Amino acid sequence: MAERSTTENIYPRNQKKSYALMELVKGQGFQTRKQPEDTVFVWPHLLYIELIAALVSLAILLWVCTFKHAPLEDMASSDTTPNPMKAPWYFLGLQELLVFFDPWLAGMVLPVFIIVGMLAIPYLDINPKGVGYWAWKERPFAIWTFMFGFLQWWVFIIIGVYFRGLDWQWYMPWDDWTQHKPSSGATLNDMNVILHGWGVGETAANLATYAMTIGYFALFLILPVLLWRKFSQQLGVVRYLLVWSLFALLMLSPIKVFLRLAFNIKYFMVTPWFKL
Amino acid sequence: MIDRLVTFIRDTQLWQSIFRHGYPETDRNQSLIMFSSVLLHLHPVKIKRSALRFRYTMCLGGLSAFMFLLLTFTGIFLMFYYVPDTRQAYNNIKDLTSNVFMGELMRDLHKWSAEAMVFLVWAHMFRVFMTGSYKTPREFNWGIGVILLTVTLLLSWTGYLLPWDQLALWAITVGTKMAEATPFVGNAGPWGPQLGFTISNDIRFLLIGGTVVGQNALLRFYVLHCVALPVIITLGMVVHFWRIRKDGFSGPL
Amino acid sequence: MKDMRGFETLEGQGDKAPVCRRDFFTMVGWGGFLAAMAGVGVGSFKFYVPTVLYEPPTTFKIGPPADYGIGVDVRWKTIGQFWLVKEEKGMYALVSICRHLGCTPNWFPDQERFRCPCHGSIYDTAGNVRGGPAPRTLWRAAISLDPIDGQIIVNTSVRQDPDPKSIEGIAVYVDPEPRKVAPYYINL
Repeated sequence: MAERSTTENIYPRNQKKSYALMELVKGQGFQTRKQPEDTVFVWPHLLYIELIAALVSLAILLWVCTFKHAPLEDMASSDTTPNPMKAPWYFLGLQELLVFFDPWLAGMVLPVFIIVGMLAIPYLDINPKGVGYWAWKERPFAIWTFMFGFLQWWVFIIIGVYFRGLDWQWYMPWDDWTQHKPSSGATLNDMNVILHGWGVGETAANLATYAMTIGYFALFLILPVLLWRKFSQQLGVVRYLLVWSLFALLMLSPIKVFLRLAFNIKYFMVTPWFKL
Repeated sequence: MIDRLVTFIRDTQLWQSIFRHGYPETDRNQSLIMFSSVLLHLHPVKIKRSALRFRYTMCLGGLSAFMFLLLTFTGIFLMFYYVPDTRQAYNNIKDLTSNVFMGELMRDLHKWSAEAMVFLVWAHMFRVFMTGSYKTPREFNWGIGVILLTVTLLLSWTGYLLPWDQLALWAITVGTKMAEATPFVGNAGPWGPQLGFTISNDIRFLLIGGTVVGQNALLRFYVLHCVALPVIITLGMVVHFWRIRKDGFSGPL
Repeated sequence: MKDMRGFETLEGQGDKAPVCRRDFFTMVGWGGFLAAMAGVGVGSFKFYVPTVLYEPPTTFKIGPPADYGIGVDVRWKTIGQFWLVKEEKGMYALVSICRHLGCTPNWFPDQERFRCPCHGSIYDTAGNVRGGPAPRTLWRAAISLDPIDGQIIVNTSVRQDPDPKSIEGIAVYVDPEPRKVAPYYINL
């Protein structure tokens, strides 16, 4: 408002006219950084691109068909399962997840959470930057979280395709894939049984595993607001809770895989109805 | 001579009833063709030059849609020689690959374009995320996309039961056992037995129409694969494309 | 109280307000529509539930116990989906369906383990889980001796499935001794 007089000085208001310059403000107009609109007709420019892309992809597919035929195994028989039984590659991530989690979790609840989480992404991401170009630096949290989940999926797929052999054991590419491997000598145990083995009472061990699981999620819900206060305020309560619960779930699978491989833990929490 | 013939044909009532304008080589006709053709109408008349850049979209979404067309095309061919019967299905596939002219090509193409579609849809989702194209006002369309991805995977899964080979049987056995473990509605899931679900009344029983993967399961998956899921994915694609037009292209500028 | 059109409204007249004709028909209309839709829903659901099943048999008559040696016998796996385990004192049948996701495990005599090719579950001869992701022990099928000719009868649709617990060294464990009860065990 301080510049009101300046505006009046530069462009004095003419009382005979019904219009006048209202205000001069500092700063860039919203068009200043943009170039004049540069458009082309869809016919032929875009349509040619689409046609070429379709033809090239069809050519590649036909070329693949000349040397690689769709697989057909023996006729179905419910008495013998092929060894190893591998799903098509795009489901091997799920199959690998099933090695570490119970079916209700890996087969149903986690996939549903993946789908729900992805549906929620646009409503949880409040960062307005980075639309319409490949942006890494402007939204590091979104990109890294997504990349983490996406890469995890692909790592599981690669393990399933290239490192799982007979009896779903771990095989290196240079191992003999026709020889059965002995089952690992280590036996799996539940967390509460391990605690019980250390001298903790049975009930106390159970309660400790519950506390650890609740503590894990509480950590993800409390820590961010302490570390990133401003970001948390921007998110608001509902988004904050959703973002960090989903984030905690995302981190759950590598943690569980680590617990299984490093400490031979089968479940870290056992309830009468389900086991985690 | 040819020019006169072309002019004559273009002046006929038949031609003019189909095509409402001349060949799209003028600005006016290039606009009109976009308005008058229902298929081309998916596109706008003009787009930003920068949106054409291959490096931005890499044609992933469009190619996913093309894969779906290719799958529909080859799938219809396959249906002519396939009977969803556990005693016939496997031999039908054998016949198709060895006795039917171009049968093996159709099956191979169906298989590989299905795998390509899964890959392309994933890659498309990755691209859309990385370029922030799901942000306001495109939140809803991202959601449609996630559903399309899910249906794509369901189509793949229902599809590989159909040859009735070992992979088919065991993949479906495993997959429906997961359904059995669904909380509340599966007989092996948390709170499933408590709610009274057994192997002969839960969600898996409904899905495969029995307690073991057999004839009912094959027929159900056949109907899902060839009718129900394609209808759903087509509706989803219609909304998806429509919203791209309505919400605008997210490209550079 | 009057509404925008100048008609008396029913607001503020307490619970005994008469339902005007328009409201009544609205309620009947929507109620009927929703009831019909619910009927369609229930009907569609019931349509998808098969009432008659044509499934493979689950009961097998497999000869006298003397036909089988001590240990695990796999000859009925491909026909009846079960293994027969004979001990000194008795016999029981394990259903050859992995408790993880339903594949058929293979028997490894040298390791004395059943191992599943799908996700790597490992079971011992009692059916307890010795490794891999299986959440429960192998089912034991109903087994009995025919009182007339003394042959073994196995029925794989009747299954013993006790809740497992975790003990030191075995993740999914059920004490084998209490499992040796009729009809899941025959004493010899």
